Amino acid sequence: MSTVVAAPQSTAPPASGRRRTRLWVSVWLLVGLLALATARVVADADDIDSTGTLRAGLVLAMPIALAGLGGLWSERAGVVNIGLEGMMILGTLGAGYYTYHFGVWVGLLGAIAFGAIGGVLHAVATIVFGVDHIVSGVAINIIAAGAAAFLAEVFFSGLEGGGPTQSPSLPEPPSFDVPVLAEASSDLAEKGWFLLSDAGSVVAALTNNMSVFTLLAFAALAGSGWLLWRTAFGLRLRSCGESPSSAETLGVNVYRYKFLAVTVSGMLAGFAGCYLAVVASSGYANGQTNGRGFIGLAAMIFGNWRPGGLLAGSLLFGYTDAARLRSGGESVHALLLILAVGLLLLAVWQVRRGHRTSAIVAIVAAVVVAVWFALTDAIPGDFTQMTPYVTTLLVLSLASQRLRMPAADGLRYRRGEAG
Amino acid sequence: MLQRVVRQRTRVASGIAVAALILAGCAGNDEGSSSTDDICESADGDGPKIGLAFDVGGIGDQSFNDSAYAGLEQVVTDLDGSCTDVEAADGEDDAAREERLRQLADADHTIIIAVGFIYGAAVYNVAPDYPDINFGIIDGAPPEGVDLLTNVANIGFAANQGSFLVGAAAALTTQSDNVGFVGGLNIPLIQDFEMGFEAGVKEINPDIEIQSEYLSQDDAAEGFESPTNGETAATGMFDNGADVVFHAAGKSGLGVFDAAVAAGEGMWAIGVDSDQYLTASAEQKPHILTSMLKRVDTGVIEYVTGVADAVEAGGEAPNGFVTYDLSSDGVGYATSGDFLSQEIIDQLEDLKQQIIDGEIKVPTAF
Repeated sequence: MSTVVAAPQSTAPPASGRRRTRLWVSVWLLVGLLALATARVVADADDIDSTGTLRAGLVLAMPIALAGLGGLWSERAGVVNIGLEGMMILGTLGAGYYTYHFGVWVGLLGAIAFGAIGGVLHAVATIVFGVDHIVSGVAINIIAAGAAAFLAEVFFSGLEGGGPTQSPSLPEPPSFDVPVLAEASSDLAEKGWFLLSDAGSVVAALTNNMSVFTLLAFAALAGSGWLLWRTAFGLRLRSCGESPSSAETLGVNVYRYKFLAVTVSGMLAGFAGCYLAVVASSGYANGQTNGRGFIGLAAMIFGNWRPGGLLAGSLLFGYTDAARLRSGGESVHALLLILAVGLLLLAVWQVRRGHRTSAIVAIVAAVVVAVWFALTDAIPGDFTQMTPYVTTLLVLSLASQRLRMPAADGLRYRRGEAG
Repeated sequence: MLQRVVRQRTRVASGIAVAALILAGCAGNDEGSSSTDDICESADGDGPKIGLAFDVGGIGDQSFNDSAYAGLEQVVTDLDGSCTDVEAADGEDDAAREERLRQLADADHTIIIAVGFIYGAAVYNVAPDYPDINFGIIDGAPPEGVDLLTNVANIGFAANQGSFLVGAAAALTTQSDNVGFVGGLNIPLIQDFEMGFEAGVKEINPDIEIQSEYLSQDDAAEGFESPTNGETAATGMFDNGADVVFHAAGKSGLGVFDAAVAAGEGMWAIGVDSDQYLTASAEQKPHILTSMLKRVDTGVIEYVTGVADAVEAGGEAPNGFVTYDLSSDGVGYATSGDFLSQEIIDQLEDLKQQIIDGEIKVPTAF
């Protein structure tokens, strides 16, 4: 819905490829909106794209997107960062401690600093000592979880409303309504008009009660896109992830760039933790990340190691998670209709490409889903719970043919080793 | 050379990082010592020696575990006994729980209480090896296919009865004839809350719409420990017209309170297990209508006293399923905040009496 926002801003006239990408993004947005509007009307599921659902989806998506952005920085410089989860945990803890004592803004800085500690640790292990990236990442996840549980007890025991496993309620960062647009779109969203109200809903979700932290997150996404793809600094950093030895021959200090990238990665994961603890939730609690760092990593892969793509992946996950948590049975039931139609279109496409077997599989699946939709009114909880994961997996498996990771991602680099 | 510079810099950086952590730790230490006066450190009477194994969350969760601890504190003082309490770790398995129970048993505790249904399998594995020790499991049940044991008591609470009363309170309060229920895990233990709540609402007015949502099917972390999930689900209910939402979702319920705050004046949440009005933040307080009380402390006190009496008199200690309901004050509702009018309280007391007398049968998930 808001992928456009994350597209890197450029003052140079856009190349035709870029223009085509933008066109595709708009087309996909329109198709998505049309699908939601149709499903809403046909299946009579008002909550499927209500302002509330979309806003909840946005809030659930942001921590994932920020963690994914952290992964992007690190992996673009050639360091696999599976320790994002741990850095995010450190972020939640830092947010809990500093927000409680010093307010929202110091809390944000504290969370970023705590995340950076995790990032520096990972950088020291993988870049300086050449430890395997996965081993170091897993170690950081374990250390962070343990350290957070221990420090939470030290920080929060005995505080009013806190305990050894949770912080007291924390103040929320300021939020605002965009004048005129907020009210107009909310009114439109409540009319129930086909497509128009659905579009109103999207605008209303983006203009009403918008947290400053959400804006900052969007700024981080757009800023990273600009910095990494539009500046010499970004080119050098990415060259460390594609071919560090070539970068070295051109005089790039690969160690320094990698170190910086992994530290920034930790800082972004810390921000993700802060968002989770302060905006999405109302305080620190042990175990509240619950795998979101890993999902961020998946969103990054989903998005082909690009900020716009990872935002789209995060929004998809956040939206489906919100839809199933709110009127779950009903909304997910309506989503089945979209799935059936989508599968049917996939079948048509496969036939045109001459892939008969996959076309048949798609048709059969479409029929099964359509029958399921027709025969039921709501989806049982066991299935609604899987929705975010299944959706992400489905889209990922359809898109995975075109993904390309940085060429030297995850490889150990030693100065002067290249021929 | 440059590599050495990098190394030196990293050394400095990691030094700073460690220092920051230590400093942060020291800063927190000054204020974190008020609630750590553990009764088990000081009690050394000759009465029963009680071992208490906490569920994840431990002391300070302001709910379940704290309530169990309060019961322990009281009963140890009353019976002049001694005790040991041990914490659980996040994400541990049955083997770790078993080991914890065995340690307590080997340390000659005569009564061991495991807090939480999650201990079921572990207790039923350990108990046969220690026939002289009495085990109590809060919310416990034997694992599937395992017979009851004479030295194990499954301490249960008629959550459906308490939920019935707060359901009635919700029905008497709602202006929009629309109320909600947020459950943590979709398991019988929590379904029992939902069924009671629903019956209570319908008892007052069968036309009231009830929205119901479970946060997770099988993942306890997503269900009971995610305020984010609780807030998302409850906000959905308020958006869809509810004005009272009852939660049975542990820590996730804190998100339900936040949702009520965000939804504005006249929007209510109902707490669970303990009187959550007392531990809520200042801005949440005006929105907590009442709480469904599950008196884990009563359960602990009654059970330990029962065992102690039996040992003294030579009778049989409580075992099998031991349920504390409205008649034994094992469940109830809270009136803190004075949001329930005297009129409503009178009606609730009337319903309570009817349940105790058996005139109203509250459906149960068991």
